[in-house]
Amino acid sequence: MRWLAVLAVFVLVLGACTGDDDDAADTPDAPDNNGEDNGDGPSETIDLVQDGESVLASVQDSGVVVCGVNDAVPGFGFVDEDGNFSGFDVDYCRAIAAAVLGDAEAVEYVPLTAAQRFTALQSGEIDVLVRNTTWTASRDGGEGAAFATTTFYDGQGMMVRADGDIGSIDDMGGASVCVLSGTTTELNLATVFNARGLDYSPLSFEDNDTLREAFIAGQCDGWTSDKSQLAAVRSAYPEADGGPESLTILDETISKEPLGPAVRDGDSAWFDAVNWAVIATIQAEEFGITSENIDDFTTSDDPNILRFLGEPDPEEGTVADPGLGLDPDFAVNVISQVGNYGEIFERHVGPDTPLGLARAENDLWTNGGLLYPPPYR
Amino acid sequence: MTAVVDAPDPPGQPPRSSRPPLWRDVRVIRVVLQVAFAVAVVALISYLYSNLVNNLTDQGIRTDFGYLDRPAGFQILGSDFRAAQSVSDALLVGLSNTVSVAVIGIVLTMILGIIVGVASLSSNWLVRKAATVYVETLRNLPPLIVIVFMFTAVILRLPRIEAPAEWFDLAIWTNRTISIAAPSLDAGSGGFLLALVTALVLAAVVWIVRTRHNARTGQPHHRVALSGLAFLAVVVLAWSLTGRPLGIDRPEVVGRQLEGGWSMSANYAAVLFALVIYTASYIAEIVRGSIQAVHKGQTEASLALALSGFQRLRFVILPQAFRIAVPAIANQFLNLTKNSSLAIAVGFAELTQVTFIVIGNGNPAPQSILLLMFAYLFLSLVIALFTNIVNRRFQLVSR
Repeated sequence: MRWLAVLAVFVLVLGACTGDDDDAADTPDAPDNNGEDNGDGPSETIDLVQDGESVLASVQDSGVVVCGVNDAVPGFGFVDEDGNFSGFDVDYCRAIAAAVLGDAEAVEYVPLTAAQRFTALQSGEIDVLVRNTTWTASRDGGEGAAFATTTFYDGQGMMVRADGDIGSIDDMGGASVCVLSGTTTELNLATVFNARGLDYSPLSFEDNDTLREAFIAGQCDGWTSDKSQLAAVRSAYPEADGGPESLTILDETISKEPLGPAVRDGDSAWFDAVNWAVIATIQAEEFGITSENIDDFTTSDDPNILRFLGEPDPEEGTVADPGLGLDPDFAVNVISQVGNYGEIFERHVGPDTPLGLARAENDLWTNGGLLYPPPYR
Repeated sequence: MTAVVDAPDPPGQPPRSSRPPLWRDVRVIRVVLQVAFAVAVVALISYLYSNLVNNLTDQGIRTDFGYLDRPAGFQILGSDFRAAQSVSDALLVGLSNTVSVAVIGIVLTMILGIIVGVASLSSNWLVRKAATVYVETLRNLPPLIVIVFMFTAVILRLPRIEAPAEWFDLAIWTNRTISIAAPSLDAGSGGFLLALVTALVLAAVVWIVRTRHNARTGQPHHRVALSGLAFLAVVVLAWSLTGRPLGIDRPEVVGRQLEGGWSMSANYAAVLFALVIYTASYIAEIVRGSIQAVHKGQTEASLALALSGFQRLRFVILPQAFRIAVPAIANQFLNLTKNSSLAIAVGFAELTQVTFIVIGNGNPAPQSILLLMFAYLFLSLVIALFTNIVNRRFQLVSR
C-alpha cells in the first residue's frame, strides 16, 4: 500500500506540472515580452506564462482592478466604520478603474504594510500600488517597479509634542523617534541625524496603529513620516490624549517624497493606462473641467478639450485615439465618476478637511505648483 | 504479492521460475517508484527555481547576493549598528537579537514552567487551581495576541521617561527601557579577574572532591554550601587585596534615555516576557504530565524509605519525569525560538523584522527570505543538537 501512496503523490506532482504547462499552451500566440528568445525551452514557456498578456488585458477580462492601498492613513487610504476604503490614494484607484473599465467602483482593495507592498506588486498579487509610495531610483531599478506621474509631492517631517522642549531637529539629540519600518522615511531619518551628528533611538514599527499606540504612550519623542501623513495623524489624534493642538509638526522638511502609483516593470500598455488615468485628472483641472460641469464641455469650441473628452473633431468628424488601449471617452468616466485633481485634493486632504493641507507644490504649474500634464494629442 | 514470492517451489523445479516478471517484482517496483519520486521532486524544484530566476530577471530584479555588502541605511534600536554598515551586519544584529530572546527566554521559561508544573500537582487547593488557570488561559491564546497584549497593555503602561519608577537605585523601569544595576569593574582590575577565575576553579574542585567523598563513604556531601563558601572566601579576599575594584553600575536617566546598568529596551522586554509566560504554560503541562507518568509505586517506595516531600521530588520523581519530558520540552524550545519572529508586531528588531526592513528598502526579497529560512533552520538545529545531548545523558541514567 505504501508504494500506492507514493504513486499517488507522484501523479499529483505530475498533474500539477502539466497543469502549468497547459496554461502556457493556452496562450501560444501571445506576444513575447520583448522578442527575446534565447532558445532555452523552460524559460520560453515561463515567459509566456508571466508576460503572455498585459495586465491591461487581464484587468479588462476580469472587470476589476486589484489595487494595493494603505488602510490606516486618514485622508490618503483609510477604512471607515462601515469597512469602506476612502482617501486620496483610494480615489486614484477609482480613477484607474474608471479609465480602464468605465466603472470607478470596480476596484478590489488590498491593504498592505510598507514592507509587503513591493513583493505584492512583483508577484502580481495586485495590479497597481497606490499607497503613499515614494518614487526612488532603487525602487525603479531594484524593486522592478515603474512609477507613473506623481499624484502628491510630499516631504518628510517630524512631529513632536507641543509642550516639550523640541523646537527643531537639532534639539533632538538622544531622542527616541518612531518610524514606519521598511520605508524611505526610515533611511532619511538615519541620514539626517547622522549628518547632524545627533544620536537617536529608532523605534521602527510594522504598522501605523502600533506606532500610534507607542507614540501616545510616550515611548518616542518624535514621529517622523511624510508631512501629509503626519497631518493626517495629527488631525485624528484623540482628544483624550490632548487632541491635535497637543502636537506640532516641525517646520523642517528633510526629504523629497514624490508619491505616485506604481506598476510592474516591463508592461508598457498597463503603465500607459495608469499613467494617463492620473494625467487625465490633472489635465481636467487645467481645462477647468469638474465632475459638476463636464456636460457643458462636450460642446466646447476648444478642439483640445473635445479631443480630451473623446468627442469627434468638429472639422474632420473623427474621434482621436492616441492608442493608449483605453476608450476614447475614458477621461469623461474619470472626471464624472471621480473628479479632477482639485476635487480629489479638496475632498480628502484640502483646507476644509481635518488634514487642512494647502495646495502648495501640488498646484497646477499655472499657479506656481508642480502639476504639469503633458499635452493630450 | 508476497504470496507469489514465498510460494514453495514445486519439487524438482529450479527456484528462479517462481520469480515474478520485472513489472510485478515488488523490489523492482520499490526502486523504480523511489527513483521516479526523486526525479519528480528534483524536476519540480528546478522548475520552480528557473521560473523564479527567469521572472526576476525579466523584471530587472537581481538574483545574486551582492546586496549584502551595500550600506544598510537604517539603524537598529538598542545596538551600536550604524547606517553606514552593511546589510549583512544588520542581519547579524537581527540574528543576535533573536538568539538573545531565544537563550534568555529558554532559561526563564524552564524556571517558570517547572514551578507552575509542580504547582499544578500541589496538594494545596489554591496553588493547584492558580496553576491550572494560568496554564489553561495562556495555552489557549495565540502567541501573537500575548505579545501584542504584553506590549500595549503592560509595557507601554509603564511610567514615561519623564517620571521613571525606581527601586532603591537598583532598578529603573520606563516604557522605553528597563534597567537594573550591574556589577562593574574598574580599570586595571586584571588581578581581580584572575582571582575570580581561581575562585571558580577552586569551587569546582571542592564540588568534585565532595561528590567523590559522598560516593565513597555515603556521608552527606554538602557540596553546594562548601564550594559556595570557598568561592566567596577567595573572591572577598581578592576584592579587598586588589583595592576593591568591583563597584555597582547604577542605571540613571540621562536626557531622554536610561543609561548604565543592564538594560533592555521595552520592546525586547515585551517579546521576552510574552514568550516566556506563553511557552511556560506548555512546559508546565509537559512537566505535570511527565510527573504523573512516573509510576505510583515509585512514590510509595520513596514514602516507605521515609524520604521527605522535597527529597521524593528531587531524587526519585523528577529524574524519572525529566527523562520523559526532555524530547517534548525540546520541541517547546524550538517553538519559542521560532515564535520570536512575531516580535515584528511590536517593533523589536529581531531577524525577521530586520529582513523585512531590508526587503522594504529595495533589496531582493527571494534571497533575503532564503537567508531568513536558513538562519532559523540553523538555530533550530543547534537547539536540537543541545537537547539531544541532554536527552542522551538522561537516557544513560536509566539502567
